Amino acid sequence: MACAPLVAQDIRLGDAPVAHKGHVELLSDAVEVKAGEPQVVELRFRVQDGFHINSHTPKDELLIPTVLQLNAASGMKLVEEEYPKGSTFRLPLDKTETLDVYQGEFRVSVRLVAPKGSSTLTGLLKYQACDNAVCYPPKTLPVLVAVTGR
Amino acid sequence: MVRRLAIVVLLVAGVTLIVMAGTHNLRHRQMVMQKAQQEAQLAPADDSSTSANPGEDPAAKKLLGKSAPSFTLVDLNGKKVSLADFKGRPVVLNFWATWCGPCKLEMPWFQDLQNKYKGQGLVVLGLDTDDGMAVKEVAEASKRTGVTYPILMPDEAVTKSYQLSDYIPETFYVDKSGKVVDQTIGAHSKDELEADVQKAIASGGL
Repeated sequence: MACAPLVAQDIRLGDAPVAHKGHVELLSDAVEVKAGEPQVVELRFRVQDGFHINSHTPKDELLIPTVLQLNAASGMKLVEEEYPKGSTFRLPLDKTETLDVYQGEFRVSVRLVAPKGSSTLTGLLKYQACDNAVCYPPKTLPVLVAVTGR
Repeated sequence: MVRRLAIVVLLVAGVTLIVMAGTHNLRHRQMVMQKAQQEAQLAPADDSSTSANPGEDPAAKKLLGKSAPSFTLVDLNGKKVSLADFKGRPVVLNFWATWCGPCKLEMPWFQDLQNKYKGQGLVVLGLDTDDGMAVKEVAEASKRTGVTYPILMPDEAVTKSYQLSDYIPETFYVDKSGKVVDQTIGAHSKDELEADVQKAIASGGL
């Protein structure tokens, strides 16, 4: 039976998160799932206004795709990640080509099997950001999500 | 009678106050609009392509008016290339990377300008800022943009001496005397690139 994905909640745990010097932030850092069964969890990210990052499948192979690399905690099984489709973006000066990008909020779906109790999903979001005229070097955003299996 | 008169006076006063307040509000809005229009007229023309460009900040042009720092680097064929090799010629130094869309937009335009102003001695050098990318891959990427001008592999000393920002493209226009006559960050239109090239060609002559 197909189930709606669980959206990781915007619950801040403990101290305030350390500001990330980049153009993407993780909006959610906690989720409750049914323990011992495959579950789809959506991790919410937001690209800073005025910027875009390449989607997971940019049109040009030289462009750096957005990739989420997760490390499963002990007892947790990661099955797969599913990336959203990008949107079409055209640089103001470019009259010919378009880019496939993420702007604003985007969600990566992660299918996982979590153990009962508390565990942590950690990893990195690798991305490369640009605005209308400049590009910034590739960056990595630390990802840390508390997973509670009920 | 007195009561009616008082009501009429109060009504007239109320209406007067409302009219005065409205007039004041209208004047205030007109003043604000006028001020906004004046500020808009004083502000430089906004180009949507570069309005979000941090490189438009004049303070970012740290080398403007200064001598272009010297360097000796290797090109994609391993040949040594020094800035001093082009003494007396206008030089464009364009810092780019294979993953930079706006950079690859500008590069064919630089090639066109190199061809157009070859007679005036123009030299265009592309400096690749990819971190740890193989020379072969850089060569393939630059070939795809259609450029044939030299692509150099800068070292840390060059990125430091040119005080590069955290973003690219960044371009330095060097005149015949070796002075930086313009420095731009971010992609610009072909017309803007040509204007800067012409500035480099026209300046620094003996």
